[in-house]
Amino acid sequence: MRGPIVAAIVRKDARAFTRDRFFFFITILALVAYAVVYFFIPSNVDETVTVGVHQTGLDELIRGVAAASRGLAVAEYDSSADLEDAVTRGADGVVAGLDFPTDFAETVAAGERARVRLLLPAGVSEDDRLLLEGIVGEVAFAVAGVPPPVDPITDAVVLGTDRVGDQMSLQDQMRPMLLFFVLMVETFALASLVSIEIQERTVTAVLATPARIGDVLAAKGIFGTGLAFVEVLFLALVIGALAPNLPLMLVALLLGSILVTGFGMIAGSFGRDFMEVLFISFAFMIPLAIPAMAALFPGTAPLWVRLIPSFGLVDVIGGVTTDGESWREVSGALASLAAWSTAAFVAGSMILKRRVSTL
Amino acid sequence: MNLQRVGHIVVKDLRLGPRSPLLLFAVVMPLLITLLVAAVFGSLFDQQPRLGIVDLGDSGIPEAAAALDGIEVTTSTDPAALADRVERHDVDAGLVIPEGFDDAVRAGEEPDLEFLVSGRSLASTRAVLAVTTIDLVREVAGGEPPVEVVTTVIGAEDYVPLGDRLIPLTVFYAVVIAGMFLPASSLVEERQKRTMDAVLVTPARMPEILTAKAIVGISLATVMGLITLALNRAFGANPGAMVLFLVLGAVMVAEFGLVLGCWARDVNTLYTAIKGGGIFIFLPALFALFPGVPQWIARIAPTYYFLQPIYDLGARGASFGSLWDELAVCLAIVTLLVPAVAAMGRRAEHDLAIVT
Repeated sequence: MRGPIVAAIVRKDARAFTRDRFFFFITILALVAYAVVYFFIPSNVDETVTVGVHQTGLDELIRGVAAASRGLAVAEYDSSADLEDAVTRGADGVVAGLDFPTDFAETVAAGERARVRLLLPAGVSEDDRLLLEGIVGEVAFAVAGVPPPVDPITDAVVLGTDRVGDQMSLQDQMRPMLLFFVLMVETFALASLVSIEIQERTVTAVLATPARIGDVLAAKGIFGTGLAFVEVLFLALVIGALAPNLPLMLVALLLGSILVTGFGMIAGSFGRDFMEVLFISFAFMIPLAIPAMAALFPGTAPLWVRLIPSFGLVDVIGGVTTDGESWREVSGALASLAAWSTAAFVAGSMILKRRVSTL
Repeated sequence: MNLQRVGHIVVKDLRLGPRSPLLLFAVVMPLLITLLVAAVFGSLFDQQPRLGIVDLGDSGIPEAAAALDGIEVTTSTDPAALADRVERHDVDAGLVIPEGFDDAVRAGEEPDLEFLVSGRSLASTRAVLAVTTIDLVREVAGGEPPVEVVTTVIGAEDYVPLGDRLIPLTVFYAVVIAGMFLPASSLVEERQKRTMDAVLVTPARMPEILTAKAIVGISLATVMGLITLALNRAFGANPGAMVLFLVLGAVMVAEFGLVLGCWARDVNTLYTAIKGGGIFIFLPALFALFPGVPQWIARIAPTYYFLQPIYDLGARGASFGSLWDELAVCLAIVTLLVPAVAAMGRRAEHDLAIVT
């Protein structure tokens, strides 16, 4: 492998890429679209269920219930009509309404069953309904002087860092996905460039020069990795993904770029025309996107998701950007990413070499 | 136009079609998108609080909790493992019920109940689980709350669940991939590989080729649209009207596909055009997802006039009679596109320079 020859092939590929209107357009469009999408995604989390209440003589109790839980807020209304209107319009962020009758306290204190209207907008979640019914019950028990046998609100033991008030927003959760999607578009771009070279036999023309097959493979690897890395780096910079730990993020994104370059070389070697490249690239992209999708859901990803080559990349990006994890904490995921990247790159190079040698 | 020749070209395309990855793409992608959309959007925006329970005795709480709607309950036997799951946020909260808990509560005591909360769970989720836990314990104690809750649902007539709002999106992909991509890329590919020249050497003329490509695209788009609607259980109360709009939609996108296929000089140009103009035809599917934004904007897209009726019929229980306006506009677009297709076909035939 000789530097000047490899550099010349890389320059040729770069020119071919920028000349190809389709891929150049897609690349720019994707970067702009991802950045725009990112800034449109909600950057804060509303952890509070706001309940509209109309009541008489229950001020202290209602405020007590709201104060006991940080996840509950109360908006008071003077009449049933005002409450109904607020629930209908979703005013003041009200998700539902509790309409206590004026004689509620007297009725319950007399040992009779009072009737409370629960106003729910269509589509309200079942868990919100449970919460509201529970609150009505507790207010009634409190009026009747029957305290709860247990108090899970004040006795709760919080495990892990308490993130109330500092929850991971959808924007934070989407960050690994957006970065990964940029890399995925590159799988397709590189695959198509490789495929065109094979179909148009330009690679055989290159091999007629002093360049050897090792030079061609090295050039493809450098160009693919460089292209993916520059793009993902640009987006990472725009969306602030580099700030928590620059060196760690650079290593992770570089390994991710090597990973998609490997898959791009495989897809490009097998695809005989545009449609085949598109199809094979999608066959790789869809499973590789699963870990990025899984990152949107809470909890540990199942084992089969953890075995997907892109999981390490998504895990490192998520850990570093949202939890501020260190080198030591992400070492396992980083090692897995490095192993998959090496395997994909070696496999891609071997398949491409075999394909070129059959021309 | 000779219908027999059209038939021969259709048969040729159907025979050779399975060799093309695009056909597989047109069949697999809508199914995959339906599954992904249902799995990702369905569960992403409808996540329930998750409660893990370890019962060290024989409490009635796990069974009562499992019967509740709106909470996902899992039971296990190891308190340490539960604490670990809570810390990793595999569940939002964990409940460790000690032995003899139910008897103690019934005896009026205040026994210890370990309530573990994940630091990552939302404050509102914690409130739901805490209040529900109190309710469950009160149930064990046997105390009925001295209150009756009467539920009134507001605004049900205008509400469309998220799953139903996704119908235009899934139908869009099914119809557009098969109805537009297939004829367009098939035309471009045949011109690039010069097989079109070979066909035009025979008595077959361009209008017959275009009709044949349209028939294949429309048939596949209709079938994929029907499968997508069936998977989403979205035929509504008027399946006849649904099929009518689906077929009209398939015809419309196939006509767009033919125009594009005749215009684009190569596959890259075709896909650049689709990529650039895609957002325009995608608008109605996007706007259906967000009912709060002004819906009139979606009317500027031609696809609105078949996607909106499909949405109204499948998700909002609309009657066929209320969709005459959309039907009229849809028919007008389909009719107006016919001369456009013919003109583009003539242009493509001239470009091929094999005109007899």
